[in-house]
Amino acid sequence: MSEPREAVPAQRAWMSAVQKVGMPIISTVLAIGVGSLIIWIAGYDPGAAFAALFKGAFGGPRQTGETILRSTPLILAGLAVGYGFRAGLFNIGAEGQLMMGGLLAAWLGVQMAALPPMVTIPTLIVAAALAGAAWAFIPAILKARIGAHEVITTMMFSHIARYVVAWLTAGPIKAPGQIPQTVSLTESAQIPRIQSLFSEGAIEAFPYLNLGRAHLGVLIAIAAAVGIWLVLRYTTLGYENRAVGLSPWAAETAGISVQWTTVKALCISGALAGLAGGVEVMGLHHRIFDQFSSGVGFTGIAVALLAKNHPLGIIAAALLFGALSAGSGTMQLEAGVSQKIILIIQALVIFFVAAEGIVNWFIRKRQKEVASGAE
Amino acid sequence: MLSDIITPDLFAAALRMATPLALAAIGGTICERSGVVNIALEGIMLIGAFFGTATVLATGSPWLGVLVAVLAGVGISAVHALASVNLRTDQVVSGTAINLLALGLTGFLMELWYGHPGTTQPIPTLQPVFGFGAMGDGFLGEVWRWINGVFLSHTPLVYLAVIIAVGAHWAMYHTRWGLRLRALGEHPRAVDTAGVSVARGRWMAVLMSGALGGLAGANLSIEQVGVFQEGFTNGRGFIALAANIFGRWTPIGSYLASLLFGFADALQIKLQPFRDVIDLPPEFFLMVPYVVTVVVLAGVIGRAVGPAQVGVPYEKG
Repeated sequence: MSEPREAVPAQRAWMSAVQKVGMPIISTVLAIGVGSLIIWIAGYDPGAAFAALFKGAFGGPRQTGETILRSTPLILAGLAVGYGFRAGLFNIGAEGQLMMGGLLAAWLGVQMAALPPMVTIPTLIVAAALAGAAWAFIPAILKARIGAHEVITTMMFSHIARYVVAWLTAGPIKAPGQIPQTVSLTESAQIPRIQSLFSEGAIEAFPYLNLGRAHLGVLIAIAAAVGIWLVLRYTTLGYENRAVGLSPWAAETAGISVQWTTVKALCISGALAGLAGGVEVMGLHHRIFDQFSSGVGFTGIAVALLAKNHPLGIIAAALLFGALSAGSGTMQLEAGVSQKIILIIQALVIFFVAAEGIVNWFIRKRQKEVASGAE
Repeated sequence: MLSDIITPDLFAAALRMATPLALAAIGGTICERSGVVNIALEGIMLIGAFFGTATVLATGSPWLGVLVAVLAGVGISAVHALASVNLRTDQVVSGTAINLLALGLTGFLMELWYGHPGTTQPIPTLQPVFGFGAMGDGFLGEVWRWINGVFLSHTPLVYLAVIIAVGAHWAMYHTRWGLRLRALGEHPRAVDTAGVSVARGRWMAVLMSGALGGLAGANLSIEQVGVFQEGFTNGRGFIALAANIFGRWTPIGSYLASLLFGFADALQIKLQPFRDVIDLPPEFFLMVPYVVTVVVLAGVIGRAVGPAQVGVPYEKG
């Protein structure tokens, strides 16, 4: 669609600003609006539902901690999907890479139980990232060499990962007892909770420091976001990644190896997803069990799209989805609305962000009105 | 042991399990031939299966359930058509949103209507079309046992899927509709120049894939399982998409590829009781369809060439 070239520069600048920051906000508001409509049609009170949701997400230190806790893996999963997107790759299988990252961290953590945290924690973090990268490597090679679509291959690898975890936790690395899960990591392999940084006196003086289950993994996630932002902005690796994403043909002509860049991008994407799994295991569950991730990899897709694949925007988007996830339990408990509405809102956010055509259509229509009204 | 595995019902199960994949894959073929990627098949199947089951639960009529499943598939794919044809959204992203929406909506409605997540009450299912008995012993009796077991033991949609595969194949290569459909995916500009609406053609193709996806969902819930379970399409939509690629974007190819996946699935179920002979954990058998999909996609077909303009929004003028 040809943009109206006669538009005055100020108006164009306004439009681009709207599209960068305003679009995600408009999309979120629209999604919550349609979500409210669905809640209302279903016979509940949307006001009460969202009040309960907000209370569950930010109503107190514990609730805020829960939001931070849920946002942590979403930042990493969002980065994983977003980094792939920047190279024109749709890593729909972040879920599987996440599981493999968690699996290796859970297994290796038990093997390294006798070592000090200064050794264990960094090792496990690196191991989780490598496991995620390894799980993305085969789809990456297949994409680069044969052209097998990564949407299908990474998805299939997610299913395979699910059964690998189910098999190992039910048999070879199962903890004694009825439940299929591994033994708990010793404290030396756990990422400490945020509140462990403060003395009891400090927490008594400032109750808001008692952030419940939130752990320091959030710092790893934020550091990763800043790191990816710097990589995309200032390094050759990031430049090649973006170039291939914008136009593989132009990149090839400019001497960039599209195949090699594809492999690197999907492996880095997988590494970030694996990191998300490792951080979940080390910070929250302290072990791995069947289906431990509950769709974090998929929510990462919504997070990345909402943030338009911008690493720093992903932090904000992950916080929003973390809050939705943390508050959904309270919403179900107090307003009786099924938590599943959160999935619907996520889908609507994707629609509204992706369908920029809707907003562009509104803008064009408005410009026509303005043009005809200005006469 | 081999004679316990290679039985008529192994092949019958392969046909049965190929059916939902084939219906969805043929839908995917029609959709992608028109130039629209459809990774929403997974969600469309789920929506069809859910609304089909809900209708049967409400009315007791399986056939009404099938009809509603098809309509629900058409309804949800209208969203995909609007997004990808009119709003020129990224089609893979739109498909992902539909998959997520289907998961959320079916879960939400399940709790709203039936008060609990998980699985619905059992529903009356579509029954086999024929009901022939055994036919004596000896060689002819054995031949009849195979013919009856493999081909004559099925429910209606299994046969319908074969008819649809052959019919769609014929229509795609021998009718004006088929010519236009293929042109839409290869060279939409030419279609436009010939005075035929690209948007209309693509809309029709997306809606047809929705109808077939809904039918695939109905086959799962109203013919095979007899309940609706949350998320029970379990990646079949993506396997169907792989079957479409393996079948090189042709309806009969899609059907035959689905048959391969169906056979892999039937075989893994058949092999489960032989755990003492084949000493492998059950999860390894459950992985088989997904591994086969990757192997087929990667190894067997090589670089598959789809319609030239698939995934590219058409811009008029």
